[in-house]
Amino acid sequence: MSVLFPLVVAALLFAIGVYGVLARRNAVLVLMGVELMLNAVNLNLVAFDAYLRDVVHSGQVLTLFVIAIAAAEIGLGLAIVLMVFRSHRHIDVDRLRELSDSAAADEAIARDAGTPTCAPGSGA
Amino acid sequence: MSPGWVVVAPAAGAVFALAMGARPSTGWVGAGFGLLTWLLGLLVAVPALGDAAGTRTVLTSFPTGAAPIEVAFVVDSLAALMVLLATTVALLVLLYSVGYLAGERRRASYTALVLVFTSAMSLVVLADDFFVLLVGWEVMGACSYFLIGHYWERFEARAGAVKAFLLTRLGDIGLLFGIFVLASATGSFSISAAGEAAASGTMSTSQATAAMLLVLCGVVGKSAQFPLHTWLPDAMPGPTPISALIHAATMVAAGVYLVARLDDVMAAAPVARSVLAVIAAVTMLLAALFAVAQDDLKRVLAWSTVSQLAYMFAALSVGAYAAGVFHLVSHGAFKALLFLGAGAVVHAVGGTSMEVMGGLRRRLPLTFVTTTIGFAALAGLVPAAGFFSKDAVLGGLLDAALHEGSWQGWLLLVSGLLTVVVTAAYSMRAWLLVFFGRPHGADVLHEAPWMMHAPLIVLAACSLAGGALVLAPDVLDPLGRGPADLVHPVLAIATTAAVLLTALVTYAEWWRVDGIDPVARFGPVRRGLFAELGVGRAYQAAVVRPTWALARLVVATDRDVVEPYVRGAGVTAGGLGTALRWLQRGNAQVYVAAVVVGALAIGLTAGWLGA
Repeated sequence: MSVLFPLVVAALLFAIGVYGVLARRNAVLVLMGVELMLNAVNLNLVAFDAYLRDVVHSGQVLTLFVIAIAAAEIGLGLAIVLMVFRSHRHIDVDRLRELSDSAAADEAIARDAGTPTCAPGSGA
Repeated sequence: MSPGWVVVAPAAGAVFALAMGARPSTGWVGAGFGLLTWLLGLLVAVPALGDAAGTRTVLTSFPTGAAPIEVAFVVDSLAALMVLLATTVALLVLLYSVGYLAGERRRASYTALVLVFTSAMSLVVLADDFFVLLVGWEVMGACSYFLIGHYWERFEARAGAVKAFLLTRLGDIGLLFGIFVLASATGSFSISAAGEAAASGTMSTSQATAAMLLVLCGVVGKSAQFPLHTWLPDAMPGPTPISALIHAATMVAAGVYLVARLDDVMAAAPVARSVLAVIAAVTMLLAALFAVAQDDLKRVLAWSTVSQLAYMFAALSVGAYAAGVFHLVSHGAFKALLFLGAGAVVHAVGGTSMEVMGGLRRRLPLTFVTTTIGFAALAGLVPAAGFFSKDAVLGGLLDAALHEGSWQGWLLLVSGLLTVVVTAAYSMRAWLLVFFGRPHGADVLHEAPWMMHAPLIVLAACSLAGGALVLAPDVLDPLGRGPADLVHPVLAIATTAAVLLTALVTYAEWWRVDGIDPVARFGPVRRGLFAELGVGRAYQAAVVRPTWALARLVVATDRDVVEPYVRGAGVTAGGLGTALRWLQRGNAQVYVAAVVVGALAIGLTAGWLGA
């Protein structure tokens, strides 16, 4: 079998993953995009391992590493998404703009931080 | 007992005084440490009086790779005399200051600095290592800077302090290099070794001449001799007891002491002696003439100090060692007396200008009597100490002129005799203007408290009895280097007649114009002398203004040339930051898109370049 088939599939998977990361607004789907990209890479590794007939199967070993790391990463990512949902009541990445460096964002942060108990001058 | 205690005790007292702060008792603590220092000074000095060789103690030695620096002290007759003079005047000044500073806030720093000053002077006179001497020498320079600037709220005090510091420092550069020359000639920094090398002839004339000419730079600066004489009168805005301390026993005396200490090296360097003779001849007459024209009592006394120091240098420059040391000691007594008396007058009147004084004879009787003794000693009237010491100096000059026929002797003798006349004139004038004539100013004047009187009485007694030193030439000159006799009857009669005549003429002039300043009618001459012949102004034009211009140039260069680059770097970074700030929109997907596009671009470019 030509090595071309798994490469094309991997490229397609990677492109779908990139699209998911760049275009989806739901944070869970963004994470799924990340997973797609990782697996595209895994497919590449396995394909080249077979194609090059590597005696120590370093491609397959590396794939196992990537799977383990991906599992840890998705666990962390989902935990972050959960925390974001708890604090913002949504997980829309387009609306998560607190890290922008703009006057509007500064004001927004100041407004969010301005709870009655700790705002300056509003003490009992 | 180690002589080091005379140095340590006042320094410890300074720490104690600083710890006491502005309490009223700080002055008494200072006086207590002054007494302790004086007693230690007695213990160290009295056994050494008349001892030519001296005892040398080495505390510790620092290896330097070449000649080691030794913390060594030597107590011989000269050092003993100087220790006695310095500690006695310091004790009296500290006692006097208790009364003088009664209403003063900055008691602690004042007392501490006077004690450090005493400690440094003791270090200078006891040291037997040039670097240890230099430490004391420079500490005195720093202390005089702080003490002259004691009233730093006043512009003249600040300016005078800076001037004193810069001019003495200018000379000190020469001193430092003189020390290096002496050390390279003898292979050690020991002062006594330098004297021995010169006396035994192992030091060549050229080495001795180079070393002494350089050392004389420092001496001329420290002792305010021409051409570095302008700082001493400008140091007058400092407290009056400080003037007594600086003029009588420390600071300016240190220069004379150093020349006396290095007398053997001076003897091996005739050129340096001639230079010193010319400097002394010019300074003594010039300073005395300046003193005639001054309005300010303290300025008169300051110029008289410069003039009297020149007498000492004159004696030392013709080899009349004993006469020079004698005049140093007697001048220490009567100049301290005059300054403390002036302090009592200033204390009562509230100003230093002689225009606000007058008629103080009846109001301040004790100050009048003691200060009169001081003026008599300054003018050289029998039987005050100044008469004997000045007679010894002039006798030494006469010997040099007649017996050796040296031109330096003749020059100094003529200058010295003229200065005797001028000294009598300005002493008489100041005495008349302060104590006689019509009273000015406030009606209610009161004498100073007893702690200010006691030093006056002690110093007046010393100024009267100090002439007895003439009976102890061994104390003044244990080696017998100078002319053997200190008494010259014919010369004494001649100078006394000249002094009395001058005083009489001054009095007649003062009486004739009805109690107005007797020099007032000299017109332009007086104005020229009042302006000190424009020497200060010439220095201002030649040195100070170019320095300021250079400083302004440096400031302008920094502001207009260097600073734009510095600012430019900041402004560029700030602008870049503002521009890049726009990119941070807060949408993580945009960032990722930028990364992807960037990676694609780099990959494609690399592929295209590689192809």
